[in-house]
Amino acid sequence: MGTLARADLESLLRSRKLDRSLIPARVKGDPPIPTGLDSLDAAIGGGLPRGELSEIVGPRSSGRTSVALAVLAAAVAGGEVAALVDAFDRFDPESAAVVVSERRESGAGLERLLWVRGETGSVEAAIDPAPALDRAVKAFNLVLQAGGFAVAALDVADVPPAALRRLPFTTWFRLARAVEGGRTVALVIAAEHLARSAGGVTIALQADPSWLGTSPRARILEGLRLQSRLPSSDKLCDVKTDVAVTTASVGEPRQALGVGHQRRTK
Amino acid sequence: MFACLLSRSSPSALLDVARGFSPRIERHGEAVLLDISGLGRIVGDPPAVGRELAREARARGIDASIAIAATATAARLLGAACLMPGAWCERVPGAWRVPGAWRVPGASPVIVVPRGEERAAVATLPLDVLAGFGLSDHLPTFGRWGLKTLGDVAALAPADLHARFGPAGLVLHRIVCGRDDGPLVPHVDAARFEASMDLEWPIDALEPLSFVLARLFDPLSVALEQADRSASAIELSLTLVTREVVTRRLELPAPIRDARTFRTLLMLQLESQPVADAIDRVSVLLEPTPARIIQYSLLERAVPSPETLSTLVARLEAVMGAGRVGAPALIDSHEPGAFEMRPFACAVRPDASVTRDLKVAEHSGVSTTPDLKVGPTGVLRRFRLPVPARVAMEHGRPARVTTARRNLAGGRVLDCAGPWRSSGGWWRSSCRDVETNAATTAPSVSEARQVLGMGPQHKWNKDEWDVALPDGVYRIYRDRDSNRWFLEGILD
Repeated sequence: MGTLARADLESLLRSRKLDRSLIPARVKGDPPIPTGLDSLDAAIGGGLPRGELSEIVGPRSSGRTSVALAVLAAAVAGGEVAALVDAFDRFDPESAAVVVSERRESGAGLERLLWVRGETGSVEAAIDPAPALDRAVKAFNLVLQAGGFAVAALDVADVPPAALRRLPFTTWFRLARAVEGGRTVALVIAAEHLARSAGGVTIALQADPSWLGTSPRARILEGLRLQSRLPSSDKLCDVKTDVAVTTASVGEPRQALGVGHQRRTK
Repeated sequence: MFACLLSRSSPSALLDVARGFSPRIERHGEAVLLDISGLGRIVGDPPAVGRELAREARARGIDASIAIAATATAARLLGAACLMPGAWCERVPGAWRVPGAWRVPGASPVIVVPRGEERAAVATLPLDVLAGFGLSDHLPTFGRWGLKTLGDVAALAPADLHARFGPAGLVLHRIVCGRDDGPLVPHVDAARFEASMDLEWPIDALEPLSFVLARLFDPLSVALEQADRSASAIELSLTLVTREVVTRRLELPAPIRDARTFRTLLMLQLESQPVADAIDRVSVLLEPTPARIIQYSLLERAVPSPETLSTLVARLEAVMGAGRVGAPALIDSHEPGAFEMRPFACAVRPDASVTRDLKVAEHSGVSTTPDLKVGPTGVLRRFRLPVPARVAMEHGRPARVTTARRNLAGGRVLDCAGPWRSSGGWWRSSCRDVETNAATTAPSVSEARQVLGMGPQHKWNKDEWDVALPDGVYRIYRDRDSNRWFLEGILD
C-alpha cells in the first residue's frame, strides 16, 4: 500500500517536473565521499552522496572548513579531481596540504584540486559582497555543468546570511539539478542552512576549542572538539570528534614554546 | 627500385624534382631518395627513369647526380660516391664492369645497377661514403685494420663485426653489402593548418564572429584529424576596418583538435579583451602537434577531458578574472601563507598506489575510497589581506581584540596561547627597502603579493597568538617592525 502510494505520488510529481522532490533510491555505483568523521559517516551511509547537493553549516570555528577539506582530500586521494570555489579567497593551501598529505603516501594531491579564487577581502570590508557572491555562484554552476569532478565545493561560510538570502531560491534548485544523476558531490559550506537536494545531507557543526597546558603562559591550542548533527535525518546524530590544529610546517607539530618570546626555528 | 638524387648546389630544389616522379620521398641530408617502383608503365625501364630525372633536374638548372638501384642503401652509397672528389664513379672500374650495369650518357653522372648486383656495385666504393650513414666514427678503426673499400668490410664475418661493434656491427655489415636496414619512410612536409576569410561586411559583434570562426575551424579540425595531429596553440589575426591587425594567441594546455573548443576559447578570450573596431578579415592558424594517445582503463577513475577542462578554466577566468583559477602549490619557503598558483593539470592520472587499490577493490567488491584513518584536521581560514586589529594587552597577553571591520567585532579574549615568533627574508635587502616604504600602510607589499599568489619576496618578523574570542578562534600576530596587530585567519 505504501509502495503504491509512493508510486502514485512520484507520478504526480513527475508530471509537474518535480520528480526530484522525493529522496531517490541510492543507485549502486561510485561510493560516497567520506567526511572523515567515522560516526557521522556511519550515520549518513558512508559519506556524502554523489549526484546530490549537500551542505556543511556552522558558525565560525565550528570545523566547517576542516570537514570540507577532509571531503576534498578524500576525493583526490581516491585518484579523482575536486574543485573548490572559494567565494572570498579564504582557502589556505598550507592547511590543505597537511590534510591531503595525511591521506596520501606521496603527500602530493593539491595538483588535483581546482581552486577558483573569489574576491579578496570584501566580506568584512565595507563593500557590498553581493557581486562577488554572484560571481562565485556562477563559477560554481560552471564547475557543476562541466562535470567530471568528484567533489565541487562552494565556500560561502563568511558571507553574511542576509546576503545569501538575497539569492533567488531557484539558484539552489538549479545547482541541485546540475548534479543530479551524476557522480559529483555538490557541497555548500555556509554559516546557516541554505538548501540541499532531497537526497543530500545537511551537516550542522559546532565546536569548542581544546587547549593543552594549565599554565596561562605555557599552553597551546590542541584542536577543536567537534559536535556534528544531522538536522535532515529522522533521528539526530550527535558525533563528537577531536580535531587537531594544523601546523605551519607540514608534518611538524606546533609545539608549546613556553613562557615569553621564544623563537620558532624552522 | 630506388633512385638517389644528390646536388651540392641546391639540395632543397631536389625535392621538387623528386615530387614530380614519386610521392614516396625520403630525405637524408643532401640526398633525396625516392621510390620509383611502378614508373615502368609511365616512364619506362630504370635507365629511362634515370634519363628523365636527369633531364628534369637540368631543366631546373640543377647539376644532380643520380643513382638507381634495387635497394635504397645501394642507391645512396652510389649517389654519395658520385659527389666524392675525383669522380669515383668514373675512376672505379669495378662499378662499371658489373654485368648489366650501364652508364647513361649525359652531363650529370647517372648510375643504374640491375637488381641483384648491388653488393658487387658498391664493393669498390671507398669507405668515406659511409659518412652519410652516420658511421664516420668507425672509419679510423677500419683504417687501422687496413680496410679501404666497402667490399673489404663486407668480406668480414658479421659475427666478428658484432663482437667488435655490438648490434651496430650487424647494421654496418648490411650497409656495406648494399642491403636495406629498414623500409623507406616517406618524407611529409609540415602541413600548415590555417584558414582565413574576407568579410563582405565588417563584423562588430561577437555573435556573428562565432559563426565565422565555426566555418574556419570545422575544416581545420577535419584536416587535423586526417593528419593525425592536434593543435598546441591557436593564433587569431583580425584585420580591423582601420587596417590595424590584432593578433591573439592561445596556448592550449593539451593537444586539442575539437573545433567547438577552439571557438569557445577564442570567444571567451575576445569577450575579456574585445577589439576596438569592426573586423574586416579573420585568419586563424593552428600549430600542429602529435595527437594525444590515451589508453583508457576500466581500473582508473574518469577525469575531465582536456577539452572540457580548458574550456572550463577559460570560462571561470572570464568570470573570476585572469590568474584566479588553477591548482594551489606550496613553495619552498617558511613564510606563513606562501603559495603559488599553477595551471590545473589536464592530464592528471591516478598514481600507481591508487590504481593498485582500485584493482584490489574491484576484486574484493569493497568501497574504493580510501579509509580515513585520521579525522579532519583543524585548518585555517586565512585572511589573504590581514585585517588590522587593536589588541589590548594584560600581563603580557592579549586581553581584548577589536577590529574596525563589519562582522569582525572581536571581543574579550577567553583563552589564548602564544606567542610564536617567526621571521625571515631579512637578507633580501632590496625587499627590505620596499617593505620600509610600505610599512605604514596595510596591506603591505608582501600581502599584496600573496593575494596574487606569488612567492615571498619580502621579510617578515612577527609574533603569533591563537586567541579564543566569543565568536571563534583566531590567529593573530604582531608585526614586530611596525608594532601593529593583524588578524591572520580563523581556525575552523
